[in-house]
Amino acid sequence: MPSITVNVSLYGAIAKYAGGHHVAQAEIVLDGNSNIGDLLDKLTISAEEKGYIFKNAVLCDVPGFDAARDELLCEGDHVGIFSIQHMWPYQYRDGVRMSEALTRALNEKGAMHNTY
Amino acid sequence: MARKLLRINMSDLKATYEDIPKKWAKWGGRGMTSAIVFDEVDPACHPLGPHNKVVIAPGWVTGTPAAPSSGRSSFGGKSPLTGTIKESNAGGLSGQKIAKLGLAAIILEGTPAKDQWHYLVITKDGVEFKDASDLMGKGMYEIDEILWKDHPKTAVIGIGQAGEMKLSNAGISINDPENKPGRYAGRGGLGAVIGARGIKAIVIDDSGGPGVEIANKGLFEKGRKNLTEAIQEHALTKKDGGLNAYGTDVLMNIINEAGGLPTRNFSAGQFEGAAKISGEAIAEVVEKRDGEGMTGHGCHPGCIIQCSNIYPDESGKALVSCLEYETAFSLGSNCGIDDLDTIARMTRECNDLGLDTIEAGNSIAIAMEGGLLEFGDAEGALKLFDEIRNKTPLGRILGQGVEATAKAFGVHRVPTVKGQSMPAYEPRAIKGIGVTYATSPMGADHTSGYTIAPEIAGVSGKLDPLTDEGKADLSLAFQASTAFIDSSGYCLFVAFPILDIQTGFEGMVDSVAGVMGMDLTGDDAIALGKEILKMERLFNERAGFTKEDDRLPEFMRYEKLPPHDVVWSMADEELDKVYAWVHED
Repeated sequence: MPSITVNVSLYGAIAKYAGGHHVAQAEIVLDGNSNIGDLLDKLTISAEEKGYIFKNAVLCDVPGFDAARDELLCEGDHVGIFSIQHMWPYQYRDGVRMSEALTRALNEKGAMHNTY
Repeated sequence: MARKLLRINMSDLKATYEDIPKKWAKWGGRGMTSAIVFDEVDPACHPLGPHNKVVIAPGWVTGTPAAPSSGRSSFGGKSPLTGTIKESNAGGLSGQKIAKLGLAAIILEGTPAKDQWHYLVITKDGVEFKDASDLMGKGMYEIDEILWKDHPKTAVIGIGQAGEMKLSNAGISINDPENKPGRYAGRGGLGAVIGARGIKAIVIDDSGGPGVEIANKGLFEKGRKNLTEAIQEHALTKKDGGLNAYGTDVLMNIINEAGGLPTRNFSAGQFEGAAKISGEAIAEVVEKRDGEGMTGHGCHPGCIIQCSNIYPDESGKALVSCLEYETAFSLGSNCGIDDLDTIARMTRECNDLGLDTIEAGNSIAIAMEGGLLEFGDAEGALKLFDEIRNKTPLGRILGQGVEATAKAFGVHRVPTVKGQSMPAYEPRAIKGIGVTYATSPMGADHTSGYTIAPEIAGVSGKLDPLTDEGKADLSLAFQASTAFIDSSGYCLFVAFPILDIQTGFEGMVDSVAGVMGMDLTGDDAIALGKEILKMERLFNERAGFTKEDDRLPEFMRYEKLPPHDVVWSMADEELDKVYAWVHED
């Protein structure tokens, strides 16, 4: 399986994992068939540090959840990862496009919170 | 001492103190401004004519000891921008000082003789009407400095040149603790209505004032402690939390990643330069320039959230406060500009001239689409503020806001509702907020619908965010709870912790009940909010607005927004449900 390259943006304290202070961007090479969990592991970002995660403008994870790890990555994908510190009040994300896994997770726990 | 109303008539330069009529006695902040405007302003009047008024009201708890983040002042009247009722509120020094003078509201009415301009000095002893000739033509940075020479440590409410010209995008400035004009009751053009009263500035000196009477000190104390703890505990509002560390511009990269960042006059949902103009970038500049800049700045005494910032210039000197998300979007991504220093300079121009940054940036974006200059032309955009300062015809057009600018430049992509342009959340990508944009009595407004806990709102917390079902009920609950918070004097950002922390919500309600001597529960908060919305809605109806005005602009129904390539698809019938109850009672 050929390797893939994904474009990654890291925001907040986790930018340090790609050489930044508050913001960092990097091209990360992964094995084919890798997922977001593999990407987080490669960057050494722990579950406690990560907040919102987007893949190609689709919201895949929120603080305190673990809904994105199985999301498969393809060549050229863009992934945005935010630190746990980042905020996104509910009224400003009500109706955004989300992954199926996150939609299921939020339906179980209730979407209307500001902590996530 | 019971709270009083101060009525200032600019026709005969008389000020009278009045007892609060029973019908208004329960109100503060937005509830007070909307109640007075509803009762005293003819909805059909011209906003700049003699029959409009400006009402200034501190919130219920504003000016009380140690109520956290509670320094808001509401400003109300009929809006020159929208033609609707308008309430716009801000932090800064004014709210606490007005409240400590024992005033529940200041009503500005009447019109002076032609070309007669005054500034007012309000103290515990009354109102002085002073000749403002020496202040005319000056911007707010200079006005604040001049007035503090004679009246140090006072609150200064004022209008820049935009208000003097009675432009529809003229905001009302309030000085911050550093006596800079960064706090704006910006939206809706109420600065022009103050200008139409012949008032350039109002100095509030609370020395020796009676302070705020608290009806039930025990209940107030219990409430404010619970709310304080919730703010300090919650991830969004605690020290070094997202807001404190990066300010409201912490949302720039998030909304951009979500594909909902309005870009180049609402033609796209992502901006390639977003990271350069984000809260993270501001934090980097502040650290790198190592001077007077700072994050975690408070806009008024007693704020414990401290989401403001002071942006430094290249030499480290303070350039402007505050550089917010809405400003970075309107003057940044929506104009295709990714230069933070230029955005900061344009923000300073807005603060000086007395312009709302959202409407100002969006108007420039319209002019860019109309061919006046290219998207991304930062220097060209900055120079446009001189057109306003120099009172040129172009400057006057831009200062009238997005709709006027669009007509002047023949642009059909006009992102407005009821004449007010949209803030920084693209409703085609973030559909929930579109309902509030469409139906708010204020026009497109991102602060009209803050979330409240599902059990208080009376809706399920497990609503599917991807369907339209329940969005009308949700928006109404959000709008009602927001109207309540806008009346409290608390910063709207207390809504973040009180959604997740029940004791925080109870604390907010208890603190209000403690000050006012009211018997309040969470359900009452929604009911009071709906009372306010009903007055505002009825005012608008009498001004000629119908449900057909509760619509997003046409282009959003057929123009696909990249990267998601979505259009606004909510049925009009769903939008009409939000206010269907107004005539049912």
